[in-house]
Amino acid sequence: MKLKKITALMLASAMALSLTACGGSSDSNSGSDTPAEVDLNAEYTVDELTVNIWDNNQLDGLQQIADKWTETSGVKVKINVVTWDNYWTLLEAGAQGGEMPDVFWMHSNTAQMYMENDILLNLDPYIEADDTIDLNNYYEGIVDLYTRSDNGVHYAIPKDHDTIALLYNKALFDKYEVAYPDDTWTWEDVYEAAAKISEAGKADGVYGYACNVSNNQDGWYNIVYDYGGQIITDDHKGTTIGSEEGKAGMEMVRKLLSVGAPQTVVAETGTDSLFQSGLAAMITQGSWMINSFYTAEHSADYAWAMIPYADVNGNGACDEGERYSAYNGLGWAANAGTKDPNAAYSLISYFCSAEGQEMQSELGVTMAGMIGKSDAFANAFEGMDVSAFIRAEEEGDLFFRPYTRKTTVWEDALQQAGGFLDAWQNPDDPAVMSQACDNAQKIIDDAIAAE
Amino acid sequence: MKKQKQKMSIAQKKEAIWSYFFVAPTIIGLVVLNIYPIFNTIYQSFFKTGDFGRGNIFIGIDNYTKLLGNAEIWQAFWNTIKYAIIEVPFGIAIALVLAVFLNKKLAGTSVFRTIFFLPMVCAPAAVAMVWKWLYNTQFGLLNNIFGTKIEWISNPKITWISIGIIGVWSIIGYNMVLFISGLQEIPGDYYEAARIDGASEIRQFFDITIPLLSPTTFFIVQTRIIGALTVFDLMFMVMDKTNAALGKVQSVVYLFYQYSFTNGDKGTGAALVVILLVFIMVITVILQTAEKKLVYHN
Repeated sequence: MKLKKITALMLASAMALSLTACGGSSDSNSGSDTPAEVDLNAEYTVDELTVNIWDNNQLDGLQQIADKWTETSGVKVKINVVTWDNYWTLLEAGAQGGEMPDVFWMHSNTAQMYMENDILLNLDPYIEADDTIDLNNYYEGIVDLYTRSDNGVHYAIPKDHDTIALLYNKALFDKYEVAYPDDTWTWEDVYEAAAKISEAGKADGVYGYACNVSNNQDGWYNIVYDYGGQIITDDHKGTTIGSEEGKAGMEMVRKLLSVGAPQTVVAETGTDSLFQSGLAAMITQGSWMINSFYTAEHSADYAWAMIPYADVNGNGACDEGERYSAYNGLGWAANAGTKDPNAAYSLISYFCSAEGQEMQSELGVTMAGMIGKSDAFANAFEGMDVSAFIRAEEEGDLFFRPYTRKTTVWEDALQQAGGFLDAWQNPDDPAVMSQACDNAQKIIDDAIAAE
Repeated sequence: MKKQKQKMSIAQKKEAIWSYFFVAPTIIGLVVLNIYPIFNTIYQSFFKTGDFGRGNIFIGIDNYTKLLGNAEIWQAFWNTIKYAIIEVPFGIAIALVLAVFLNKKLAGTSVFRTIFFLPMVCAPAAVAMVWKWLYNTQFGLLNNIFGTKIEWISNPKITWISIGIIGVWSIIGYNMVLFISGLQEIPGDYYEAARIDGASEIRQFFDITIPLLSPTTFFIVQTRIIGALTVFDLMFMVMDKTNAALGKVQSVVYLFYQYSFTNGDKGTGAALVVILLVFIMVITVILQTAEKKLVYHN
């Protein structure tokens, strides 16, 4: 019986622990020793490149651009879409186990960590040999993001940039007889309109406004900046969310929530689904999401307005620093251990070339990472005016999406109980929101200290 | 009677070698996929792990002391136990009743067996997605049918039950198949004799079926307790991260995923599963001791 017991224990432990099986450590692929000489015209040694992205909306457009590259290179491109949450889990496990896609997207959340560990291919020798790429042509904030600070090496080329706008449902505004949002709207105007619609639409289950605690870059972050707060300070070493300005911004958020969809509703259904079901009249959204609303069933009812501003000085006009939109840019990066770095770079180079960037705008995939190539994007959606995204950049200010070395640690904590979730659940109590701001200050400070 | 140790004959030796050869694939799989990771996990739990498994720093039992002082962990253990309390007894009781009915010679038993086994064939993620929409407060089928506005999966007071129901629903098919095979091993003579003595169907069920089925029942209880304590996919798929009820249902393995993969802190995650491992070991020992008293052997 002894043996049986031991076996049982072993099996029990095996079941519990096989979960961590994908751990382990490998120090195999080191990308630091890239050959100094790069011959871009060398023949490709692979038949197919695998590409990982997380946004299904961009798949068709990017595949078209990639197919164009295939015409000249003869190398097929297989694009896999992995959901945002699983993308990073897979990529990290792949980086450890040596099973990564050849080319993939990099994001501000994790770029630092990947660059510092030589997981990504050093693109400098290739960029130097390539006439079609000049990094001065791209948005500076995005180029900086993908540059390693201690040695100045570039690990990704900007793919796109995005901004935020206010999305509203004209049918609901008509039904409840409220004037449409326009470029002069402040957050107070949003609040008043939302209050009216929520009140009138009570019987139909319609809410004037919806924002989940997870709608940060595309939601409440922007309001904090409008009021002068900063989620992450410019040096990426701290936050001012707990300051007077930060609290003033979050107080505005609280007011909006008090007339918007309750937390239990948005946690189950999601603001996008609520909006598309005709149950939310206004949400804020990023330019990367346009396609999903453009192709929706009732897209004729949807319209975009410039992201509202905060009239902090009370002069009735939008001054500098009162209208902020977050911007972020993805980068195309390659696996340091890819079989054919030349082919991988060539694909990246095509995606980021003037031609590839223009195509990306024309096809309505996203706005360009290259400056001045986004105009076609405004016209890419026939019958839907999306110029609000480009105007936000011309008439307002942009702030780069807040990030630190391990962004997800504090970003996740902010969204949960002990962070802002408590305030989202009690939007009628200003004290809870103020307390949440103090908690958030501590969460971010602690997380940065632990990095 | 004394057994004498005998030297193996050449033929026996050959047979022994062949037997090792045949079990080798399983053993190798077990070592590579289970045994090695166990020790690697225990090893990692004493480190502050670096990115991508590089640059680990030894910190002794810091990960453990940090975890044991964290209320979130204890809540997660309690959540996991609550889940097991629903899934194990109900999953077994319902499956047993179904098995007894479907073991009879009735028309259409194979159709029903297939229907009840179907959830087992579906991907757990797909099951969870469907239930998530059934439970949805605004658009869910359940609230629509009953005309209610119950927040099945965002009211912290009832969410654990809602999740438990999905667990029971997904597991009864599997338990049922095991019970049916157990039932078929009970000799028909017992029932015949009982019928002649005038025992009712219900009496037969409690006095013949349940005792003679106890080895199967015990096996299911033990494997399901371990299975329930390592539950992850249901919470992960059904509950949105921003759901306020998440704290009241997140399981230990869910937290492990959060620490290890979302936050990239493999050391803390490893320490957490080692604690879970010890917990499961203790329960297994208790169950093994109880086996002698509870299980009826022929």
